[in-house]
Amino acid sequence: MSHFKAKRGKISVVFTEAERVFLGDVLPFLASLGRNGDDPAATRLKVPVYLDDPAANDEWWRLMGDDLEAGRKADRAVFETLVSGDLTLLDLDQANAVLRVLNEARLALGARLGIDIEEDYDVLSEEGRQAMDYLGWIQEELIIELTKSL
Amino acid sequence: MAQPAAPVVVPGTDDEIDIDKPWQVVVWNDPVNTMSYVVYVFRKLFGYDEPKATELMLAVHNEGRAIVSDGPREQAELDCYRLHNHGLWATLEQ
Repeated sequence: MSHFKAKRGKISVVFTEAERVFLGDVLPFLASLGRNGDDPAATRLKVPVYLDDPAANDEWWRLMGDDLEAGRKADRAVFETLVSGDLTLLDLDQANAVLRVLNEARLALGARLGIDIEEDYDVLSEEGRQAMDYLGWIQEELIIELTKSL
Repeated sequence: MAQPAAPVVVPGTDDEIDIDKPWQVVVWNDPVNTMSYVVYVFRKLFGYDEPKATELMLAVHNEGRAIVSDGPREQAELDCYRLHNHGLWATLEQ
């Protein structure tokens, strides 16, 4: 059974307590990005926009970087309410926020685990593979429900 | 009626920027974003139907990159922002 179910423009959510505990770890993980020097996860979330023009790239990130970070923080606040169990019926904006956090977590975790090419999945630790697979599974379920709104 | 703009030369260089030439928003392949997520983002952000979004996603996957939108620089930069906001690696080129 899916964790998400679309109905009348909203999406209901059901997680077990164990799942909420696991998902609760996502937020401190994301908050830790970039705190300890070079961090491939932080780098993945700040990739260049102008490949051949460092000055234009710096300017783009100067203008857009704060808004991007503010958007990510707002998304994480929705996610925090979800994993606390207080939010069980998402509107579409909230559901998209949850989707972006799940994706951000997969991108950051994938970078930390050293996934540079698809074949790197084959040599992940069991723990790393389980985390990536679980996040990917619930992300996929949410995409299926959100696609009904397009 | 306005005359076509002449190429603009960047001061101190021989580089010319054609201000009328559209900017292209390029999305690059990565090993973590799933195919279904990329299709969903293309549909949601650009309003593409499923076949068009799937075609672009497959181009990203198979060729490493695809141009997903183009237009004036400000619009292209905004599209790039929206893609980054969804975790896709997008770049700009002219």
